[in-house]
Amino acid sequence: MNTSSNPMIEMRNVGKSFGAHRVLRGINLDVHSGEVLVLIGPSGSGKTTALRCMNFLEHHDEGQVRIKGATLGYRVAPTGQRVRDSDREIAAARSPLAMVFQQFNLWPHMTALGNVMAPLTLARGLSPERARAQAMAALDRVGLSAKADLRPAALSGGQQQRVGIARALAGKPEVMLLDEPTSALDPELVDEVLEVILSLSREGMTMVMVTHEMSFAAKVASRIAFMEKGELVVVGSADEIIRHPTHPRIQTFLAPWVRRSLPADTVAAEVAAA
Amino acid sequence: MIDFELIASLLPSFGQAALRTMALVAVASSGLVLGFVINALRVLGGPAMGAGVMVWISVWRFTPFLAQLFVVYFGLPAVGLSLSPFQAAALTLALYSAAYYAEIFRGCWDAVPKGQIEAAEASGISRFSTFRSIEMPQALVMSVPLLANQTILVLKESALASIITYPELTLTTGRIVAERFVYVEPYLLLACTYWLMTLAIGAAGRRLALHIEIRRGTAQ
Amino acid sequence: MVRVPDGHPDRRAADADDVSAHGSIALATDFTLAERVAGYVPLLAHGAATTLGVSLVAIGIGFALGAALLGVSMSPGPFALRRRAVALYVSFFRGTPLLVQLLMLFYLPSAAGVDLPPPIAALLALGCNSAAFQCEILRAGLAAVPRGQVEAAAVFGLPARKIFKHIQLPQIAVAVWPALVSEAIDVLKGSAIVSVIAVTDLARTGRQIVAGNFRPLEVYVMVALIYLLLSLVVVAVGWSVRRRLTGRWAARAPRVATATTAGLLP
Repeated sequence: MNTSSNPMIEMRNVGKSFGAHRVLRGINLDVHSGEVLVLIGPSGSGKTTALRCMNFLEHHDEGQVRIKGATLGYRVAPTGQRVRDSDREIAAARSPLAMVFQQFNLWPHMTALGNVMAPLTLARGLSPERARAQAMAALDRVGLSAKADLRPAALSGGQQQRVGIARALAGKPEVMLLDEPTSALDPELVDEVLEVILSLSREGMTMVMVTHEMSFAAKVASRIAFMEKGELVVVGSADEIIRHPTHPRIQTFLAPWVRRSLPADTVAAEVAAA
Repeated sequence: MIDFELIASLLPSFGQAALRTMALVAVASSGLVLGFVINALRVLGGPAMGAGVMVWISVWRFTPFLAQLFVVYFGLPAVGLSLSPFQAAALTLALYSAAYYAEIFRGCWDAVPKGQIEAAEASGISRFSTFRSIEMPQALVMSVPLLANQTILVLKESALASIITYPELTLTTGRIVAERFVYVEPYLLLACTYWLMTLAIGAAGRRLALHIEIRRGTAQ
Repeated sequence: MVRVPDGHPDRRAADADDVSAHGSIALATDFTLAERVAGYVPLLAHGAATTLGVSLVAIGIGFALGAALLGVSMSPGPFALRRRAVALYVSFFRGTPLLVQLLMLFYLPSAAGVDLPPPIAALLALGCNSAAFQCEILRAGLAAVPRGQVEAAAVFGLPARKIFKHIQLPQIAVAVWPALVSEAIDVLKGSAIVSVIAVTDLARTGRQIVAGNFRPLEVYVMVALIYLLLSLVVVAVGWSVRRRLTGRWAARAPRVATATTAGLLP
């Protein structure tokens, strides 16, 4: 992990409200190259919103988001006022990032190959030949090159999400954002997706992931950030946060998982049993 | 610019004409019952009956109301059935709307999940009882907004009765315009009258639908 | 010249004049049914051609204007003025009878000194009317494309124009097609009304023939049957286009309410 150079993503004092409802407050978070940062927390904690602020899918109301040192979404005018960037500037600032969605968001009228190629030909202006080559490589990486000519409706949920991952990979991103990638999947399809994510992380892909899969989070994460009620409560290693949590709020949050899946020799298990 | 005194002087004849338009629509609403029966025939009768019903509905839905009106008003006297403008317009409108109502009922009946009908059959409930106690309550509730919408369409078609000289709103306006050579106020009044009636029917339909939802406990 | 609306006693005379324009149609008491029908079918065919022509142009106007209205209603502006204006337009044209719209578009300009030729007034009325319905059909089609797909495209860097062309449009086309076919048939049926302002379409041709041979039942039944035929042709064409559309894109078309099922008028 290279922490001495610029972080890939920096969030400084980021805040966001939906109407009167304050969803994020004072988020300070860095994402370093090569690491896997996992965001966990109860529903309503703002973790998905925080992720979506990283690529300006949600527009932060306060604070600053920087991608590789460049500000994203807004710039400060000479008058001191915040001015929104143009769509082109936003697209340019976003280009090192790629996203995988909870609902896959594949385009149903295109084949799997078409889905993976579309961002390359339509956004990056690659020639069809180059785009096809890169797309097939990405599909191959997720194990779906045999299904390239099928439409999403002909694929299982797990396969569709893997196509979603291929689509994100094909553009050779520097950071992948994964928004609850397995939450919409039937249980037996979850593992095939997690395996792909794990192997990508082992190759050194920088990732930020929101997930409810606690044991997977413990396995894949370099760091885990626990959020609650719009605030970043604590960031630490998998050991500190999941296996041996000392923070009481985390212990409360993790209790249901401990009863179900984590090894019983953790402190958390003792707390849950009490 | 708009002569409001003129409008005021026109209101009495407009009021009468509006009543005649409403009378047409009211009689045409008997098409609701007929449409229901037609759909029931399709559901409960065999495949031949179903096909026959679809042909009948298609004839009424794929020909213009004007042509139907001409056949009834101008054509039927040739076989001995001479109807007054009101009778011809009301009859044609009733048959015309019955076909559309039948289509609406068909859609709503189809929307009742097949599994429920299977469950009824497996429990030994007769086809007729299934129709009456399982399909009908659900389908009717679904149909209310669509039926209200269709009533609006019937109201708009009623304007064509003017062409066979029934003195409803549109013909009355035409006469006023021809006799007095004033154009703007009468047509403005005409358009607004229909528009208001349309909005009223729409609002009534929405309230009825809401009332039904509340009674069923499914209101949002 | 002031125009004489229907209902005026002088109106009936006008119909008889039209007949003489066709030359004499045999009083037909001595011909068989087949011979009579053979006699006036060519005339009816000519009227049917006019009806088809008028309908097609009106549908085209309705589509262009309807799409434009949709665009305007979605563009930003003060107090949502544009959206409200379009909503008013749609409410008016869907909430008043087509016949009334036609009469207004025909007689009001003449009162102001502008004599619109009947075919123009007819196209205007049919087109503006259809535009209101097509605007709402297109609106529903646009809303039927899931927001997430548009988001994903934006996040992958596609500009709005390309998102519309490659992601939304293919799905909208498949979704709205049945509703558009339905609207096309409505325009075809509605076009019968233009016969009251002296456009020689199928309905008017029928009237002229009847004025000459006094056999209203068979003529008007023929007229109705020809309309039925025309409608079925539209349905068939619509169906084959739909096969090609869904073959090409083969997505599960998002469900869109047709004009007749689209809830209550505002």
